[in-house]
Amino acid sequence: MAMTAAQGTDVLARAGSAKPDYLGFGLGLRPQHYTDILDGNPAVDWFEVISENYMVPGGQPLKMLDRIRERYPIVMHGVSLSIASTAPFDPKYLADLKALADRTEPKFVSDHLCWTGVHGVNLHDLLPVPYTREALDHVVARIQHVQDHLQRPIAIENVSSYVQFAHAEMPEWDFIAEMAKRTGCWLVFDVNNVFVSAFNHDFDAYDFIDGIPADRVVQFHLAGHEHATTHIIDTHDAMVPEPVWELYRAAVKRFGRVSTIIERDDNIPPLAELVAELSEARRIACDMLPELSLT
Amino acid sequence: MTLTSKTMIKRPKLKSAMTASSAKPLSLADAQALFQKALLEGDTGILDLVLDNSRTSRTQLFGVYKNAYSGRLTEILVNDYEYLAVYMDGDDFDEVARSYIAAHPSQSQNARWFGGRLPAFLRTLPLNADHPECADLAYLEKALADAFDAADVEPMTLAALAQYPPDDWGRLVFTAHPSVTVLAVSTDVFGLWKALKSDEAAPDALYQSNGHVAAWRHDATPMCRVVGDEEAMMWTEATRGMRFDALCEMLATFDDPDTAAMRAAGYLQGWLTSQMLASAVLAPEA
Repeated sequence: MAMTAAQGTDVLARAGSAKPDYLGFGLGLRPQHYTDILDGNPAVDWFEVISENYMVPGGQPLKMLDRIRERYPIVMHGVSLSIASTAPFDPKYLADLKALADRTEPKFVSDHLCWTGVHGVNLHDLLPVPYTREALDHVVARIQHVQDHLQRPIAIENVSSYVQFAHAEMPEWDFIAEMAKRTGCWLVFDVNNVFVSAFNHDFDAYDFIDGIPADRVVQFHLAGHEHATTHIIDTHDAMVPEPVWELYRAAVKRFGRVSTIIERDDNIPPLAELVAELSEARRIACDMLPELSLT
Repeated sequence: MTLTSKTMIKRPKLKSAMTASSAKPLSLADAQALFQKALLEGDTGILDLVLDNSRTSRTQLFGVYKNAYSGRLTEILVNDYEYLAVYMDGDDFDEVARSYIAAHPSQSQNARWFGGRLPAFLRTLPLNADHPECADLAYLEKALADAFDAADVEPMTLAALAQYPPDDWGRLVFTAHPSVTVLAVSTDVFGLWKALKSDEAAPDALYQSNGHVAAWRHDATPMCRVVGDEEAMMWTEATRGMRFDALCEMLATFDDPDTAAMRAAGYLQGWLTSQMLASAVLAPEA
């Protein structure tokens, strides 16, 4: 269902469009770490959960989520909203997402600027968008629909990509900036994804940073990748490499104090290793923004 | 290559918004359809719509998506059918996974449900003739996974049963807990599952059937056990709404009629203590 810009604005007014609170330094919540988190109270300020992992009827996943959210702020991060798909939304998916958000009371809800399938098929990948005016209008209408359904602004993350469309009409950062302006959505800035896409598409990552509206960025993602010489594959399965840390410094300089997580999706190490890696993010941010040391 | 300055390679100029073969701008829907067709069917039309980078071809770059598609879905199946993947030993499982992915592209937005049809798919394969234990094992792993995140319903307790006067027990009709699945199997899949869980060899009498195997959730933990023929029959009828007195009469036709009520009470007690029942109601007086 498409909405007018005026309707979208009404939704944001009703939902309250105040910028989400700064949360500090967090991790992506992974089931392998449930026990260590509950037994150890690790030095992690907040957790980001994969929404779909908890969009199940009941049982252990939701029980664990309930216990962890008693102690830590939670952000819901989805992988299947398929905001750019030309297929209609699945009403059950949206209903389940809202039910989880109502139950979990996350600090905010996010997903990716991508599509995951059409014609009744889901490819379970974060697929690239042609940055055209038509796609922008389509994505804007879909974000407004989701925000109206959830009764809250959502946050949208830039994805890593491997191909860019020849018929694109604008760079990714202009598309994102216009999308945020027209919908009032927040932005998750995945530093690794910018690095990967910049290398794969021969653009300057600093142009990307400069092109994003600073006041819309509510979260940084940090992760690792696999370098294949001619291109980079976004694996999220390794430590954050130095070039991504370097880009993170530039992002902190440009966007200021932004909630940050390290996101590991594969080769999940012990929790202590991720907490140690997170301390590097904290150290860099405090170097760039000394006032953070006091919070 | 590090991003230390703005002296990066210049971004290639984007082409016009027209396709090579038509003056009509390529729609988002058409672009997505072509992209998906390339992933599912190997069609190469998408390559006319995307760009090389300065180091490699669009074919190689698009190949990242192609590799990721089959790799990711296979990984989902390996995670969902952990012991089947171990039992089938790598290549054989990968071949089954490839066939399944081709036959049943995911139709769910949540990857949790993608592998749900694998057990039935295995039954249809020629492999099933000599190795029915593979489908049995898949059904068991699916039942355990379904038990893991089944709906949260408070299980019925022995204390709740005790609140009914004994004279009313005959009229009780039970509802199964949503986490329970009772499978009819043709092999010793329970023994196979236990062996794989303990990293031991498959049981010698693998093709001697367990009859039935139940999977359910006790507190937060998925459980499974073999269910005898009589208990399986009583479970099936009980969860179809048969009254307890009728269940006892049915058991009397199955084995010693003098102990039928006692056997039925024993099965009922087992279901209650293991949290396999959700509730009971009294049927109207006949």
